[in-house]
Amino acid sequence: MKRFGSMGLSLLVLVLAAAPAFAAEPAGAGDAGWHHGLIALAAGLGLGLAAFGAALGQGRATAAAMESIGRNPNSADRIFTPLIVGLALMEALALYALVIAFFLQGKV
Amino acid sequence: MEEHKPFTWLGDLGYPEPVLTAGLVALVLVVFAAYLRPKLARAEQAIAPEEGFTARNFAEVFVEAMVGIAEGVIGHDGKRYVPLLGSFFIFILVANLIGLIPGFTPPTADFNITFGLGLVTFFAYHAYGTREHGLKYLKHFLGPVVFLAPLMLVVEVFSHMFRPVSLGIRLFANMFADHQVVEIFTDLTKVGVPVIFYVLGAFVAVVQAFVFTMLSAIYIALAVAHDH
Repeated sequence: MKRFGSMGLSLLVLVLAAAPAFAAEPAGAGDAGWHHGLIALAAGLGLGLAAFGAALGQGRATAAAMESIGRNPNSADRIFTPLIVGLALMEALALYALVIAFFLQGKV
Repeated sequence: MEEHKPFTWLGDLGYPEPVLTAGLVALVLVVFAAYLRPKLARAEQAIAPEEGFTARNFAEVFVEAMVGIAEGVIGHDGKRYVPLLGSFFIFILVANLIGLIPGFTPPTADFNITFGLGLVTFFAYHAYGTREHGLKYLKHFLGPVVFLAPLMLVVEVFSHMFRPVSLGIRLFANMFADHQVVEIFTDLTKVGVPVIFYVLGAFVAVVQAFVFTMLSAIYIALAVAHDH
């Protein structure tokens, strides 16, 4: 009896979720709403994911640099330059997503 | 808010603004160099540095830093590439920093200009590689083992094609996003808070100029490398 109840509930949810698709057919403006919404969602989510990945990578690189400076404080100058170059390379990957987000945001 | 373009000194002159600002940057650098040349040419003061923050001291420190980068990355032959690398660094640095002056947009916030700089690096390191190795420079694209050559050629060509684009996009996206942030925050909070973003902007300007120069030096080093 409980199984029937949960299956009935999920069936109800599915039917209700399909209702906007039924409503969008005759009116063209509904499609444009989805279109703009998806573009905006792609811009925001894409950039967020890219920033997350870049932050992870940069955190690891900086942690390794901090540790090696801690072991050998005299090496700080020699470590600084490769660290900055590595951070900029990771940053660039997130920036490609930012550029795409700007393009998408212009199309919304 | 998107329709309202902020006022810039060079924005309404009928020519594309990034080009005019880049021309202004080049003019400033040429005037500085012309001012500095007679001072450096005086022989009796060549060995002893002057006191304080003078133009000559600034130039000497800058050139020493560039020679340090070039020789550190490229090796003992690095000095012949210092003019190119130094030009990249000082042009990109001044171009980025001019965006912090109210009323100016950094010319490097335009993809056309940064891609142009990336293309200069691209043609430069291929030219240097060919000058150093002759036609054997093309062997660099074939990889270590001869039967992998077709695959390695495709991979290497794509990777090389992407380099000027990545240099250009990196610099463009950094400066454009940073300038947008400064603009928006100055619009929202008129006084006080934008100072924080000015600090960030100055930091990003120096780091991006440095990274562009370092990457150009690394590409030149890879092209010119002798494996002995």
